[in-house]
Amino acid sequence: MTSSTSRPLTPRKVPRFRRFAVRTGAMARKETWHVVRDPSNLFLALGMPVVLIIVFGYGVSFDLDHVPVAIIDQDGTRTSRQVARDLTASGEFDAIADAGEPEDADRLFRRQEAAAAVILPRGMEKSLARGEQVTLQVLVDGSDGGRASSVIGSSAAIVRSASIRAAASGLPRAMVVPIRGRVRTLFNPELRSAVFLVPGLIAYVLAIAAVLLTALTVAREWERGNMEQLFATPVGRLEIVLGKLSPYLAIGLLQALLVLAVGTVVFDVPVRGHMALLAAGTLLFLAGTLSQGLFISVLARNQQVATQAGAISSLLPAVLLSGFLFPIENMPLALQVIASVFPSRYYVELLRGVMLKDAPLAVLWPQLAAMAAFAAVMIVLSTARFGRRIA
Amino acid sequence: MSDLITVSRLCRSFGSFQAVKDVSFKVGRGEIFGYLGANGAGKSTTIRMLCGLLQPTSGSAVVAGADVARDPEGVKRRIGYMSQKFSLYPDLTVFENLDFFGGAYGLSGRALRSRIDEVLDELGLRDRSRSLTSSLPGGARQRVALANALLHNPDVLFLDEPTAGVDPASRRDFIALVRRRVAQGTTAFLTTHYMDEAEYCDRVGLMVAGCLKVLDTPSALKANHVPGALFEVRTARRGDVTAALNAIQGLATIQRIGAGLRVRYDPSPGRDRVAESALAADPDAVVEAAEASLDDVFRAVVDQEAQ
Repeated sequence: MTSSTSRPLTPRKVPRFRRFAVRTGAMARKETWHVVRDPSNLFLALGMPVVLIIVFGYGVSFDLDHVPVAIIDQDGTRTSRQVARDLTASGEFDAIADAGEPEDADRLFRRQEAAAAVILPRGMEKSLARGEQVTLQVLVDGSDGGRASSVIGSSAAIVRSASIRAAASGLPRAMVVPIRGRVRTLFNPELRSAVFLVPGLIAYVLAIAAVLLTALTVAREWERGNMEQLFATPVGRLEIVLGKLSPYLAIGLLQALLVLAVGTVVFDVPVRGHMALLAAGTLLFLAGTLSQGLFISVLARNQQVATQAGAISSLLPAVLLSGFLFPIENMPLALQVIASVFPSRYYVELLRGVMLKDAPLAVLWPQLAAMAAFAAVMIVLSTARFGRRIA
Repeated sequence: MSDLITVSRLCRSFGSFQAVKDVSFKVGRGEIFGYLGANGAGKSTTIRMLCGLLQPTSGSAVVAGADVARDPEGVKRRIGYMSQKFSLYPDLTVFENLDFFGGAYGLSGRALRSRIDEVLDELGLRDRSRSLTSSLPGGARQRVALANALLHNPDVLFLDEPTAGVDPASRRDFIALVRRRVAQGTTAFLTTHYMDEAEYCDRVGLMVAGCLKVLDTPSALKANHVPGALFEVRTARRGDVTAALNAIQGLATIQRIGAGLRVRYDPSPGRDRVAESALAADPDAVVEAAEASLDDVFRAVVDQEAQ
């Protein structure tokens, strides 16, 4: 006869929610053990973002600093020397010693001795004295597009202000420009790159780490045949999905805090807004990217494919389509549409808004809503694609 | 009501391939049911359908009162499943694996702790509970997998080739544990291709190419499918002996085994003729009577199919 122990141990009376909680909790606990058992992954997860942000923070800079310029002064007068001094006064440009002749510009660019050349033409002072217009030629090495456009912008501004002063001190009073523009930059007065790059970097490192974390761990279960064993138990799909996500959400939050700390301490990036808003945004962003990784691994079912798909689908949107490096407004419509799907751009907008501008919830709720929607769609998709049956 | 598994006209196709064709059987409470067959004969497909992991193409199966097609979740709550692949988490300890799977079955807190203690004792794993699963020898891992499947005291235990790749001694221990469990009222359904394992089953079903060909107790199967007497002939001159034996009328089969031949002779009182012929061909040959085994049954059924 049946012994007393062989009646089912799960009483049918137990409320559904409690069983849901027990099973989800078991999943989360197991996932935590995996992490603890292999701390190298944890160090990678926490160390990689910090290394990345330091490398990027120092390496990626749009600040113009000591760009070598050949100032070719063919006039050799007081006025031309004044213009040359103006060009180098701000520290953005360094005049190189051996400027040579205009024909030498090519050679200087090729040897990377100069990135730009400014030619102050013969008879410049006299022409100005006569009230004639003088044209300064600025040659720019266009092989580095980003630097070239910055050089063009800066040199044009310097030349303009030099010409205004020249006109003011020059003879014909009529040449004085009556209105002066005065630009004041808000939120990032020194226009330091780090200040707007660090928020973008936070999104970038979190996106990659988060997608890869889940993509790998779920694909591993498929590969090892654990998924079949899991499916033979009463654990539901949503329980697997939520149980898998929760420990990685905690790790992700830790990553975000670390990166934020490095950003504020090392790069002096301000956090002007509310931490609560920052935390809410980060949580939603992580939920979305972790679920994206989950979805990938549900489709891929093997670690190699999942790693590649995970890296590409997190890296590209986070770097190219987030507004981190390239303004989204300048992109073709198709790319703008794609950029609007991924949560990276909303997170970058939110981070910049909160950290630099103290933007309130009233302004940032669309970003939060968009990220929440992405996370919800990803969780629903992965749950739906998670076949409970193995074939 | 005493039937814990009722399968009727169960079929499963993958595309145009029929993995399981029109299979029907019943398994009673407290029975060890063995499902035998070559690789690809449809054993695993059947067991997966019975565990609610795979939807049948047609036919029906009721396991522990739940219909596998309509209520797979109900089936999963009442069964324990040990899959062919080693599917514990190697980077977790024995205790952690049990703790997780117990939670997956909805057990928690004190009930789960005491249940883990019970199965650890039952399967002789108490001193292993803190070991990483990956560090265990094959036999112990198999016992951990069994412990996992028993945590929630299932009505039916499904074991899909549970001892594949395990040494014979561990295999015997494992079967002994299953038998002890079954003696307490659990029903076991196991697939295997080890015939010695099948000998321990109360009843054995034989799958050939997706069909359940025969189903009976091991002794009845031997009596019905391996009639007559069996001899084993040890000889160095296998070719000569085979030729001499083939000349005898009524000889059913000659099969080459290790260092000799296994001969089935029909009708039964023919030992002398076999011995005479064999010795005539090779004076050094040794002729011994042998017991019929499920191997012989398997061979007889497969041969019948081939004809």
